[in-house]
Amino acid sequence: MKDFISTLRAVGWPINLLIAFFIFITLFGSFITPYDPNAQDLMSALQSFSTRHWLGTDNLGRDTLSRLISGAQTTLVGVTIILAMAGTVGMVLGTISGFFGRWVDEVIMRLVDFGLSVPSLFVALAIVGVFGPSYWNMIIALSIAWVPIYARLTRGVVKAAVNQPHIESLRVLGASRTRIIVHHLIPVALGQVLIYASADAGLLALAIANLSFLGLGVQPPLAEWGQMLVSGMPYLQEAPRLVILPGVALTLMVVGFNLFGESIALAKNPRPLSKRKLALRRQLFMKEKAA
Amino acid sequence: MNFITRRTLLGGTAALGGLAALGLGNIPAFADEAGNKVLRLPLARAAGNLDPQRYVGIFAVQELIFDPLVQYTRGGVIEPALAESWDLAEDETSVTFHLRPDVTFTDGEKWNAASMVWNLERWLPKEDYNWLHISNNLDRIETVDDMTVAIHFTKPTPTALTEFTYVRPVRFLSPKAVDADGTYAEPVGTGPWKIEKDAPEGTELVPNENYWGTRPQLDKLSLVVIPDARSRMSALQAGDIDAMGGAFIAPVAPQEATTLKANGITVVTDTGTDTMLLGFNPRIELFKDVKVRHAFNLLIDREGIGAVLMKGFATPTMNLYPEVIAYSGKRYDVPKRDVEAAKALLEEAGWTGDGIRSRDGKPLKVELVVSEDAVPNSRALGEVLQAGFAEAGIDLSLRNVDHAARHGDIPEFKYDLSLFVTNGAPYDPYNTLGLMILSTIQPGTDGKIFEDPEVDPLIEAALNAPEGEREAAFQAVLDWLHDNWAMAPLYHAQRIWAHNDRIKAFEIPATEYEMPLKGLAL
Repeated sequence: MKDFISTLRAVGWPINLLIAFFIFITLFGSFITPYDPNAQDLMSALQSFSTRHWLGTDNLGRDTLSRLISGAQTTLVGVTIILAMAGTVGMVLGTISGFFGRWVDEVIMRLVDFGLSVPSLFVALAIVGVFGPSYWNMIIALSIAWVPIYARLTRGVVKAAVNQPHIESLRVLGASRTRIIVHHLIPVALGQVLIYASADAGLLALAIANLSFLGLGVQPPLAEWGQMLVSGMPYLQEAPRLVILPGVALTLMVVGFNLFGESIALAKNPRPLSKRKLALRRQLFMKEKAA
Repeated sequence: MNFITRRTLLGGTAALGGLAALGLGNIPAFADEAGNKVLRLPLARAAGNLDPQRYVGIFAVQELIFDPLVQYTRGGVIEPALAESWDLAEDETSVTFHLRPDVTFTDGEKWNAASMVWNLERWLPKEDYNWLHISNNLDRIETVDDMTVAIHFTKPTPTALTEFTYVRPVRFLSPKAVDADGTYAEPVGTGPWKIEKDAPEGTELVPNENYWGTRPQLDKLSLVVIPDARSRMSALQAGDIDAMGGAFIAPVAPQEATTLKANGITVVTDTGTDTMLLGFNPRIELFKDVKVRHAFNLLIDREGIGAVLMKGFATPTMNLYPEVIAYSGKRYDVPKRDVEAAKALLEEAGWTGDGIRSRDGKPLKVELVVSEDAVPNSRALGEVLQAGFAEAGIDLSLRNVDHAARHGDIPEFKYDLSLFVTNGAPYDPYNTLGLMILSTIQPGTDGKIFEDPEVDPLIEAALNAPEGEREAAFQAVLDWLHDNWAMAPLYHAQRIWAHNDRIKAFEIPATEYEMPLKGLAL
């Protein structure tokens, strides 16, 4: 817990606040949307900012604020499911690969190489193209496309850990393979995967928006930012807010998660000592020597 | 010592910029002074293979190069073109064309009975073209003399003259413009224009100096390929093109028309000749029930769709054809959206329950195929229908497909609901009824809007009725379709063109298959 708080402190409060905000509206969005995000009212279409509709209405008279909040939910729930699926499968594959080595490693890693050689979004596009556009097809496609990244990451961490003296001692002491994997390798890998995933969430949010923008992901009437962007495009000149608002929301989410993940990774890395600390050490050392 | 201060630098740059702007302003954007009248129009895609017997190229470009025997003008009036006059047999089983003398193809080949018959034999007797009554009913082609050709049919063919106005496969190619084995080689016709340059990025045409009709008042027609609508709009505003519009040329959506208007561009509209409608898949059990079709019809907010989605560039309707189409019949009242009446009808039809309705444990779920590139604006339209149907407990999902997938799925009846557009001028009132509703004809690439053996005899009677009885016969078909809620007509969209100030006079052509060049002046 203490470790968690100190990590958050290292990240910096603006980013923490942003991420907390997104998580808050994902969890409680349904209670705070002023209107039903799918309720149309053609007669009040394309209204500008007002006290009734804070962020105006879209081309079908739906409340933009409600749709933005609902869109955040759609995106973050999707991102969470994908990260959970891709992370789990990737970690299992990576751990098997790193622990057993030899031909198992070869086979899995060549498959992973193949997966990594094609851009993830292309893989997802191909899968959705074959199975048809729908919400769940998009989730599955993106999960499959993201598995190789986590498999490769986990395998690296496990491979390094397996040769550590404490794992070797466990082996000598007769610990079972399962015990070593479950109690000593996965926790190490999990830390790395979570750090990577927190940065990856932004990229995935963008991928979901991309697919939905192309009409291959989230289907109407479910609100989603990419879809809001594409349906706002024809109104770019008349009501630019229809494009700008979801665009800004998406940018904030992508940048927020990227900075968040990056800061955590930095906080977890050993840093060189500051000048003051270095001087202090030197003094102590000199004192000891003198003594 | 300091010659160049910050202030002098800034001032100098501003002055230079101002001079540059003035200088640019003086460069004429068009070489009008040199007597070079170039009209630049956009195409949404490249003109493509212009073979008049193939369905590939852009209609409006083919129409510039190749002439018809007779010309379709507003309201379905037929005027002479390559045929100076014609005699239609009393029983409508034959038509004799008297060809226009002294007409040559742009390669010097003569227009006469021989070249006409050579052209007709390339397609008229072939089975591929029997969606046309003139091909389906063909008995024989008779060369009466060098300038007279009679075409005989096996049965009365009232559509003959209208069908001879079509762009493809009906138009005339120079007999020299083919390979040794008779395959099409180059676009050579008798039309007002000839191709100077044809490339994927655009097509340039120059007037045919030997044209038999009124010669174009332009020196060149430059067609630029601009696939993206927003790029076309900025090109028009920047003065890079002179006009845009036409459903199959470079369409302007209602929203785009509003934006262009707000930016001072002239927007011209005309009553549309087609109808946007929602079709129920006639081969699934759900839609064989008239009550269900009736209920779906009552759940559509036609007024709202016309006013908001179409920005007022559409007339809500319950008719299959707009008034401008011949024999389109009397206007039906457009019902107000009535959720309660629709719910009652669904209850009667056995679809009951709270939330999503169901019958015999089967939920009332339907899928609407939408294709933004085949039917522009169809996604937003789909979302409106979705919300409207949901209120009565119908779960409508949207399936986004591309143009090609739609052309594959629709003829194979792989859909529950789909948006259709009637054929419009010059094809209607015959084609939509004869190809998309008559069940004895195989569905073409556009599929079937509706089919029911009960209405077939009425359609047959209308298509073959002699002139005096035609109106009543068509009315009988249209009444049957309306009374049985066969489909859900939505609106007649207006035809939209936008042009800049360089164009002094502009007239929307008679059909969507032509360029707006008649009556255009720079």
